[in-house]
Amino acid sequence: MVVAAQYYLLLAAAVFCIGLFGVLTRRNALVFLMSVELMLNAANINFVAFSHQYGNLTGQTFSLFVMALAAAEVAVGIGIILVLYRNFKDIDVTKATTMRW
Amino acid sequence: MSAGNARRLLPGLAAVALFVLLALVSAGSVFTEAAGFPADASVVEGIGYAMIGLSGSAIPVENFLAVFIAIALALDAALEGSILLAQRGDEGADPLEGGEE
Amino acid sequence: MAALDLTPVIPLLPFASFLIALLVGHFYPRALPKGGAVPGILATGVALFLAAWTAVAVSGGETLNETVYTWVAADSFELTFGVLVDPLSSMMLVIVTLVAFLVHIFSLGYMNDEGETGLPRYYAGLGLFSASMLAFVIADNLLMAFMFFELVGLCSYLLIGFWFREEGPPSAAKKAFLVTRFGDYFFLIGVVAVFATFGTAKFVGTEESPGFPVLAEHALTGSAEHVHTFLGMAPEAWFGVVGMLILGGVIGKSAQFPLHTWLPDAMEGPTPVSALIHAATMVAAGVYLVARIYGFYALNPTLLAIIAFIGGFTALFAATMGVVKKEIKQVLAYSTISQYGYIMLGLGAGGYVAGTFHLLTHAFFKALLFLGAGSVIIAMHHNENMWDMGGLKEKMPVTYYTFLSGSLALAGIVPFAGFWSKDEVLYEALVHGLGGMEAGYEGALLLGAYAMGLLAVFFTGFYTFRMVLLTFHGEPRSETARNPHGVGWNVKFPLVVLGILAATVGFVNMVPVAELTGMEIEFLHKWLDGPIHVTQAHYYGELLHDVAHIQAAEVSSLVAGAVSLALALAGAGLALALYRGPAPEEHTEKLGSLKTVLYNNYYQDEYQVWLAEGLTMPLARLADKFDQGIVDGVVNGVSTVSKASGRRVRKVQSGFVTNYVAAAAFGLVVLIIAAGVFGGWLL
Repeated sequence: MVVAAQYYLLLAAAVFCIGLFGVLTRRNALVFLMSVELMLNAANINFVAFSHQYGNLTGQTFSLFVMALAAAEVAVGIGIILVLYRNFKDIDVTKATTMRW
Repeated sequence: MSAGNARRLLPGLAAVALFVLLALVSAGSVFTEAAGFPADASVVEGIGYAMIGLSGSAIPVENFLAVFIAIALALDAALEGSILLAQRGDEGADPLEGGEE
Repeated sequence: MAALDLTPVIPLLPFASFLIALLVGHFYPRALPKGGAVPGILATGVALFLAAWTAVAVSGGETLNETVYTWVAADSFELTFGVLVDPLSSMMLVIVTLVAFLVHIFSLGYMNDEGETGLPRYYAGLGLFSASMLAFVIADNLLMAFMFFELVGLCSYLLIGFWFREEGPPSAAKKAFLVTRFGDYFFLIGVVAVFATFGTAKFVGTEESPGFPVLAEHALTGSAEHVHTFLGMAPEAWFGVVGMLILGGVIGKSAQFPLHTWLPDAMEGPTPVSALIHAATMVAAGVYLVARIYGFYALNPTLLAIIAFIGGFTALFAATMGVVKKEIKQVLAYSTISQYGYIMLGLGAGGYVAGTFHLLTHAFFKALLFLGAGSVIIAMHHNENMWDMGGLKEKMPVTYYTFLSGSLALAGIVPFAGFWSKDEVLYEALVHGLGGMEAGYEGALLLGAYAMGLLAVFFTGFYTFRMVLLTFHGEPRSETARNPHGVGWNVKFPLVVLGILAATVGFVNMVPVAELTGMEIEFLHKWLDGPIHVTQAHYYGELLHDVAHIQAAEVSSLVAGAVSLALALAGAGLALALYRGPAPEEHTEKLGSLKTVLYNNYYQDEYQVWLAEGLTMPLARLADKFDQGIVDGVVNGVSTVSKASGRRVRKVQSGFVTNYVAAAAFGLVVLIIAAGVFGGWLL
């Protein structure tokens, strides 16, 4: 049985908003990073859904590249969190607020 | 404490509002019959052809050779970057502050 | 090369000597052994020659009226520099260049031979003054005249304050500049008013676009549609206002009451400066301006009556103060104020020729008297107190006889120059006063002015001969008077020239003799009926008769002349009676408290200081508070608002990443809703 595209859209929207909620409310930097991952994967769901909708593999290929980029981003992000910890002795994002007025 | 938690969760309302919006839009959208993929075609084979830049896939797909190489470079860069960020702390001194010691 | 082609060069020559004295005197003083005197003498000498040649050309009927340079050309008006040469201005050119030339020569004796320092500055000041005065004389429009009017005021300030390291001169220079500037403020408003009313400030324009006196005349006799009046006034009343505004500058510059207080203080400057500027030329600028725009003043009998009354009053007022002065230059300063009162009286009474005639004679005899006083001052080692002098007659014969010639002219004793001109002024005042009695208060004002002028003749004779007797006659009253310092030819030569002129220049317009013998010897009157129709003396007479309705009564000029001569002789006789003999007493002490009032100049100086300190200073403080509190406050307020709001708005940048993302998310929601609602695909 073929699932209609709207439901994939709905699923992707839900995952994206969960990820966004995590970015907006969580204090731990690692959880912050995980929420960003969630947002990226929500986009991936959309790509694959529409690849199936239009019968073109471009969407699936592109989502592969998105995943590769997400991995690269996490690598650099973990490095940044390391430096953050060194400077602020904590990975709480609410503590790192020196770049202000 | 619950008041403080409530204040922290206030930004999350944006995520909830966004979900409601996206759900409204996607639930109300109408799509045609999904094209889907032919039953006997290999998806992975198609993706493989796209990555290397050859034609020969049964399913229509675009040429992703340039993107493939670009992603390879980006992953290399991310690797070096994260190692660099991690290394600065191991040596114990930021190269920028090395001159003062 | 015609004479009138070279006339615009006349002011440039002393200007060149100014530049030479200033620049060469500063950068290479050794090139000017006399401090700049030689360029000055050469410049004024050549200018004198050119002025004389111009006068000859003008008497032959030539005239010059052209615009040299247009510096603003707008739609409704033009601002130009131009040259106007007619009998009046060429006469004044000769006077100014002659006196300037003689003063430059005299300065060799007064400044150079006395070992003064800073001479390049002095000669530069003299050169700039001469250039400005000459440019003023040949100006063809009121704005240009105003500019050079101000320039001569500046030069007066610089030259009065020449010995600025002492206390008196800088203060006197400041006072002179401020008092004349006060009058010039009204003059400036008057210039603007002339432009606004007539659209032009030219004295004599062309046939198609005439000067503003002619436009005013057309407005009063024909239609007033080409002039704009303000404050809802009729043209006649408005022209009176404009005339009064210009008169403000005239009163300041010619030291009439109430702006006369600067002239006695101006005697702090070197005596040649006093002779040139404060006797013969700069103070003449005011009355010359009245004569220049006489076609405008002649239209309004009220204005003329006011001018005459101010003149007559000043003549008497200053003459009474001159009676009690101790220093020789002070007597001469008050005498100058008084005599310019006579010129104003003459012009105001409708006697254009009379006023101009007295201007001519006064320039010569007053310059002579000042230079003579300068010679005495050199001899007395710069002690000016007449009570320390005495007996100088034997030691300084040339100075004495020329000074006597000048004094006889000043007092108005026949046949010296002052008699003919002063007599004609009083005669014109009398006849127009009597003739105007039916017209109303103007006639009464003129008669009142005549009476004051007549009484002033008595005082003039008195103080003049008091001065002569105290200075030259009797026994020397101090050591310096017994052994006076000698003076050289550079002092005596100008004195002799001016002495001869003071005795003879009156013969150019002997009205009583003409009436008696019927001969046509009123040369000045004929001279002033020059080529340009609208500046002719008899044209002014027509204006007075037709537009201002000023009538002249029929009185014999011999009678009027005899009366004024009798009064002058009476004054001189009283002075002789009181001050003759070897050791005269200070008779003025007998006047008691009256003398104190006169000696303190009717407390006018104190009154003006009070006006400045008691009245103007609080106003100025109020204005300052307004400026600092409100104007500066608004500016500061704008910046305070900007800074305060900035301080609040910057708190958006909290450094807290989550806030930024939340803001972005909220913004995104709002944008989507907006796009959806307006696009129609949402709701």
